This record gives sequence, structure tokens and C-alpha cells, in this order.
Amino acid sequence: MVGNKAVAYAVKLARANLIAAYPITPQTTIVEYLSEFVASGELPAEFVTVEGEITAQLVCLSGSIAGARAFTATSGEGLLYMSHALHHTARYWAPVVMAVANRSVRTMQPDHTDLLAQRETGWIQLYCENNQEVLDTGIMAYKIAEDDRVRLPVAFALDGYVLSFTAEPVSIPEQEKVDGFLKPFKSKYPVLPETWDAELEEYKKHWQQGKGINEPFTPFAGDENFSHLTMVSWGKGHDLQWRWRAHQEAMMRAKKVIKEVDEEYGRLFGRSYGGLLEEYRCEDAEAVIVVMGTLASTSRVAVDNLRKQGKRVGLVKLKSYRPFPSEEMQDIAKRVKAIGVIDRNISLGEGGIVYGSIRSALYDQVEKPKVLGYYAGLAGREVRVRDIENATEKTLKAIGSGVMDSTATWIGG
Amino acid sequence: MSKKMSIRDLRKEEVMWPGNPACQGCGGSIIGRLIFKALGRNSARVEVASCAPGFMNIRVPSFFGPAFEGAAAFMTGLARGYKIIGREDIVVAGLIGDGGTADIGFQGLSGAAERNENVFWFTYDNEAYMNTGGQRSSATPEFASTSTTPVAKMSRGKTSEKKNVPMILALHHVPYVATASVAYPEDLTAKIVYGKELRGFRYMHINSPCPTGWGTDPKDTIKIARLAVESGLWPLYEILDGRHFKLTYKPRELKPVSETLKIQGRFRHLKDEEIASIQKATTENWSRLLAIDGKDIF
Amino acid sequence: MIEIRFHGRGGQGAVTAVKILASAIHLEGKFTQAIPMYGTERRGAPVVAFCRIDDKRIRERDLVHEPDIVVVLDPLLNRSVDVTEGLKAGGLVIVNYPGNIKDTGLAGNFKVAAVDATKIALDVIGRPITNTAILGAFAKVTGLVKLESLAEAVNGELPSRIIASNVETMKRAYEATTAPANASGFRKTDVVKRASTQPLISYSRVVSDWRISHPVIDKNACVGCKRCWVYCPETAISLVDGKAEINYDYCKGCGICNEECLVGAIKMEREEV
Repeated sequence: MVGNKAVAYAVKLARANLIAAYPITPQTTIVEYLSEFVASGELPAEFVTVEGEITAQLVCLSGSIAGARAFTATSGEGLLYMSHALHHTARYWAPVVMAVANRSVRTMQPDHTDLLAQRETGWIQLYCENNQEVLDTGIMAYKIAEDDRVRLPVAFALDGYVLSFTAEPVSIPEQEKVDGFLKPFKSKYPVLPETWDAELEEYKKHWQQGKGINEPFTPFAGDENFSHLTMVSWGKGHDLQWRWRAHQEAMMRAKKVIKEVDEEYGRLFGRSYGGLLEEYRCEDAEAVIVVMGTLASTSRVAVDNLRKQGKRVGLVKLKSYRPFPSEEMQDIAKRVKAIGVIDRNISLGEGGIVYGSIRSALYDQVEKPKVLGYYAGLAGREVRVRDIENATEKTLKAIGSGVMDSTATWIGG
Repeated sequence: MSKKMSIRDLRKEEVMWPGNPACQGCGGSIIGRLIFKALGRNSARVEVASCAPGFMNIRVPSFFGPAFEGAAAFMTGLARGYKIIGREDIVVAGLIGDGGTADIGFQGLSGAAERNENVFWFTYDNEAYMNTGGQRSSATPEFASTSTTPVAKMSRGKTSEKKNVPMILALHHVPYVATASVAYPEDLTAKIVYGKELRGFRYMHINSPCPTGWGTDPKDTIKIARLAVESGLWPLYEILDGRHFKLTYKPRELKPVSETLKIQGRFRHLKDEEIASIQKATTENWSRLLAIDGKDIF
Repeated sequence: MIEIRFHGRGGQGAVTAVKILASAIHLEGKFTQAIPMYGTERRGAPVVAFCRIDDKRIRERDLVHEPDIVVVLDPLLNRSVDVTEGLKAGGLVIVNYPGNIKDTGLAGNFKVAAVDATKIALDVIGRPITNTAILGAFAKVTGLVKLESLAEAVNGELPSRIIASNVETMKRAYEATTAPANASGFRKTDVVKRASTQPLISYSRVVSDWRISHPVIDKNACVGCKRCWVYCPETAISLVDGKAEINYDYCKGCGICNEECLVGAIKMEREEV
């Protein structure tokens, strides 16, 4: 099964009932597979064939507010066109799930810059290594998004072409088991005319008691929903900073939720992915490399090869970039002497995005390992096992050397 | 076809609470009140960036749609969502400004109309971006002075004609397209009462004088809207299924356009020949509409 | 540094006033800063704007919280906004007020000066836009700026066709303003705060202090035709026993009902202060 089909199956098994998407390579076949599911009656859902990505995202947002389990998918330029709406979905705390078949802008080949450029939108971001993980993550994404402690939208990423169009065996869970794992969705928003007045009375009371925008945020109290639905008084100085604080707190709670959901999924279906990140052969490793997406798959081979040569190296697969597993990275940093970060993305003018995040997470450590940066696979450039081996060996060699250069290395020119 | 109503047929129940922060004499405020009076409380309201979210105290589920360009998208999602939870009976009504309709929202509007989404779109047209201080929109009429088409040595106001959105929507062959005016509440209500029973995409374009932006006295809001209809500047009509066209108000004789133009600050600079050119275009347009009245068009 | 806070209503020109004032004082060689406070204010809603004056470049970027001078463009504003909040002890309030200076409703350890800016604006400009009148009073009372500088600064801020009338307004207000009086023994009006503790949307707000005139219905003349009711933008008119009745809490005094009444049963009367 190709990665795009795994996405479609995840959506079907999760019983998403509102799908709105606009075609773009390499995401297109996700939409086509889902259209077929809906057309054949296998998936009872509203399928909105929208005229652009902003509409796709906003249809999911308002549909989710009304009570639909919403899904969309996009890639590269489509994701960038949607960017404005992404902020709003997150700011409305709408648990929409989106698949991103990563695509590099101005090529059709994959890198992660498209989705990483959306890291400030307030979405949870999960990255996948193979098509089985794509399917499993799609189902888990709804469970994470709809958890009362989170209620934030989730994007899960599969590398375009490398997963989206590549076929490999995927085991499909039974619908009954998924139904047991994922309960039907119910909106937290007051949307019915007959209850509106009563909800509004509650809201008025909240204000009349002098509680307003500067009060500490209580997640999902009915009155707070109104302030997301309608505008609230801008009061003195238009003070809405509390919304950002609340959102940040929910993101931090999501770390625990992602781990719990992953464990539960593992218990029920026999597959789990380490929560926020997965360590591979890190037990006694002196040097580890950190990667996201399909590079993790290639890296496993590289690590195995180097281990055969007796080199103590390991792999850290970063599954969740938002929220970022700072504590977990700090824990790993205590155990190893060097970390090599391979970025399939770039923040032009600074450097690798994951590289920056990891160095920032480790700044407060008293004893820090060396952290080296590498760029690989941008604009879909092929990354071979040998490339990863070289980077890993270079990282290993850095142990014990003198002052480190923070300039990252380009793999493959 | 909508059935004629009189002012006495208007529902007594108020859906809009009193006490809103709109400008004195706001046409949009009256329109919001009349629309939801006609729709009743089993409806939901969607707005995007415009003055309306700032002043509407309407007692139905209300959504301040987040993206300016996304009115149609937000309404679509809401209507589909209501369908999913088994509440198709709730009328999803958008109260959208002319910018959110004719300019930045146009792609989505056309898309939703083409998909024939089950929503009722109301454009309250104050003919410029009044919420941000009166910049021109594509709904601004020719020669109007706005803050981005100011009248000065090299400029006579807006240089192009107003975009005719209701006719463009009619070409999407949606079930219902109508124009209305704040000065004719019985006509407006009759059209909503008819339209709300239909399924699919319904569109109404309403003239909404803005005292602040048009440079008029707040007390003249209704007078200006009425003069626009009586002079043929704002014809009242409805189009069923994108085909059957009917004028719902036909003055025996058109008043000169100068009567309404002269009391508006935005047209203060007009020279006689400019008024004459507006008059000519208006008269010609009116005779074209008279010729197709009661007939199938397109 | 001298810090000034302007209170007005959307449409009275408080923001323009601080810009004219800042430009005028800058023309006299000082550094100034004019800060508008933007929100969703509509015509008639309470607004604030700030002005700072100093001999050196002003680096502060926050709003003015403890002003030396408060300028109030609307006579009814102090009923709903605490205009003297944070005012420095011994400070100064310049208020648009038509009556006796003792009755402005402002009392405390500060001085008050008053001018009937609404009347002067209506007489000279023909519209109740009180910003230039109050600036004339400001020049007279504070001596911080010359009337000529204000007249010059108006050039950059207002359309040319209304400059002459606004300069005339300033002059008249300058002449009409008397010396400030100590407000410590005056009677204080209670401030009923509304704006800051209410959500913006879906909530009825009392707007009675927005208007400068209000409609009065002659019940004998009213034929109950419902025209005023249907055209009221505020939902402030209802029909009781077949006659129109106005809820003045929610009337902004736009005058549409007066204009649309076919039998002349509605008259507009100037609001008493």
C-alpha cells in the first residue's frame, strides 16, 4: 500500500465525516482514495470539493466547530497558501487533523521546510517514517487532537514520493478495535439556536463578576468558548496575550497526551512509536544522530552497519516536532557525548531548524555533548545509507576533539 | 417568487438586542436587524472582517469567521457540520460586507455558489471598506471619493464601474438571487421569507448607506437608500434559478440621480457632465432591466 | 515631560486633536508624540488619545497612565468613563461643558477649565466636532502652545475646505475660555463604568450618552404606522398600545425616526447636559 492510501485508510478507520481538500502533487491521491471511499458508501462523510486550500482548511474549522470530525490534506505550496487559516484553526482550538505530504517549494520533491515553516501556527506536528506509521499516526492524531487536555489541531507528515507514492506492506487494524480506541466526536462549542441564550447568560455572568480577558484561563469552561467564537472586549490595551499563554499551556499538556495515546495504541494494536521520540540502539551509544521522517528509516540501516563495525552509535527519531520534546532530548544528552542532527529543511539565514531547536533545548545542561549539524535531502535530493553513515561517523569522531564549529555540513553538496 | 408583504406583516419579535456600538444611523445595523427578524431564531450567523462583527447583538449562534477571504468556506463548513449532526433545519446566514463578497472573498463565494452549498449569503453593501476607514472596493461606484481614490488635481474619484455581483451570481445558476434596500423593509423581508424555504445557495445584495463613509447626515440613511431605488441606481429585483428575472419595485417615473448624489459627501465634487454620465448609464441600465422583467434571461 | 490624555467619542476628532497639538508644539521647537488608541471604535463610542511634550526626543512607547493634563471633548463622557483616573495631583482638566464650572461633575485635587465646545463647533462648523474648539481652550488655559501654531498645524491634518472654519472655531474657543478653578470642593458625578467589564459582542450596552439630541414622540400625533420602529438601527423603538415608544438607554439620537415619520409626531430635542 502506498503512503497516500495509508492516509486514506486512517481517515476511514477514524470515521472522519467531513473531508475538504484541494488537489496538489504529491498529496492528490489521498483525496482521490477518499473520494472513492465516500462514493462507494464505505465512508459516510461530507466530501467538499473546494476551490482552494484556504477554503479547505476553513471548511474543516467551521465543520469541526459544528460537530464534524474533519480531515484535510495538502502539500508544499498548498500548505503555504493555507497558512493563514492554519493559525485560525489552532486559535479556535478546533481538533482538525491534516495530512501533509511534504513537498519542497518550486520542486515537487520532498523536504520538511513546508510544514516546519508552519511551526508557529499552534498545530501539533508529527512526522512519520513508513507507511504503517502513517496509518497508525493518522488514527492516533484524532485521539490526541480531541483529548480534553489538548483540543488542538494535529498535522501528520509523510515525505512526498518517498512515502506518498511508494508501496510497502501495511497492516490495517479492525474497524471495531479502532472504534473502541476512538470515541465519536462531539464539539465543545455552543452551536444550537435553542441553547444559545442560556449559554450566553452564563457568559454574561462571567463578565458581570468582573472576570474578563485577564483572568487565568480555565480550559474548556463554557464561557471561554465564547471568547473564541465571538470577539471579546478589547478592553484596556487590547490585552489578548492570555490566549497565547493558554495555547502554550495546552501544547505543553499535549506532550503527556501524545505519550499516553501512543502507549494505549501499542497495547491495543501492538505498534507504538516511542511517544514524542523513539530511541534506536541508543543504550550504550557514544554518538547519536537525530532525524525526522523517512531519513529515520535509512538511518536505521546506517546505524546497524556501523554497529557491526563495533561503533557505538544510535538513532533518535523525532516524531513530534511540536510540541518539542526538550526534556527527552536533555535526557539523551546526559548519556551521549555527541549528537548529529540531520535536517531535511532549512531556515535560510540561520540554518537547520531541528538543529537550532536541539541546541536550544540543551543550553542549560551543565555538561553538554557536542552537537553537529547536517543538511540532507533538501528539495528531494536522494539520501543514501552511505551519506548517513558518513555523517554519523563524523559525529562520532568529533568526540574528544577541540573547539567545535557550529557551521553545519551539506551532505551531497 | 416572493410574495408582497406590508410593514404590518413584519414579525414583532426582535432577534437583535438593543444597544450596539455601530455608528449613529448605520444602515448595516438596520439590515442585520431586519434579516434576522425575517429568518427567525433557528439560524446561525457568520461574519468576517467588516463593521458587522463589531455591532451585531443578534441572538442566534454567531461566528466571527476568522479569515477575511473565508466567509464562504466558513459557511460551507458550518452548513455541512449541521448536516452531519442532523440539524439541516438551521439556516446558515452570512452577513458579509462588500469587500468580503466582491473582492477578497470572491473566489470562495464563487466556489460555494458553484457547489450550491446550503447557505444564505447576505451582502450588506456600503460600497467601500468602511471598517478600515473607507477605502475603495470593487463595489464602490464610479466617481466616488474614497480614502484610496481621493479627489484631487489628478483624480476624479474611482475610475471604474461598480462590480455587478448579483448578476455574476445569477450566472452561477443558484436557486435564488435578489437585491434589496434598507429603505424597503417589506420587500427585503418578503424575499428572505421566500428564500429561507429554499435549499441551496441563496444570495441577497442589500444597499446599506454608511453615514460615516459616505459623508451624509445619520438621519438621511433611509432617505438616501430610497432615492437610490427611486432613481434606478439601485434596482430591486430577484432572479430564480439564475434564469427568471423579475423587478420587485418599479417606480412609474425615475427620479434624477442628482437628488441622491448631491446629499452625499463622497459625490460632492461631481461636475454636471459627470452627473449626466451617471444619469445616462442609470437610465440605460433601467431600460435594459425593464425589457427583461418577467422573462427568462441567459 | 508633560503628558496629556484626550477623552472623546469616535467622530469628535480626539485622534486628530492630538496630532494637531503635537505638530503645533513641534513647530515651536519641542519634541512631541501623538498616540492614538485604535480599537473597534465607531462614531459615538468613547475613545482616548495621548500626547507627550518634552525638550528632548521622547523614548517612551507605552500609553499615558498618569497624565498631567486631561482633555475631555464630550460633556457627558465623565458619566461612563473615569476621565480623571491617574491624573497627577494638582493636575488640570479641560472639559467641553456648557454650564457653570462647578457643575461639571468633576471634583478632586486638580483644576478644571471649561468651554462650550459643542456650541462653538455647531455655530462655526455646523457639526458637533469639538476637537479644534477644545484645542483653542487648551492654548488659552495651559499656555503650552500658541494659537498661531495650532492654526498652522491644522493645515497638515484637515482637508483644505474646512480649515478656515476650524481655525475660527479655535479662536472663538480661545476667547470664550476662562481661567481654571480649583475642583476640590465641587460635586462629583458617579462614574458608571461599563465598557471595560463587558464583552464586545452579543451584549446590550447603554448608548444614551452618545447622542447630542434625542427624539421625543407626540403620542397624540402618532398613528402607529411602525415606520420609526422598522427603521430604528438600535432596536430602541417598540410599539406600546399601538403607539411608538423609545427606550432612551439605547437611542444614539441618529434622527432617522424623526426624518421618516410621515405625520410629524417625532421631534428632535438637544440633549440637556
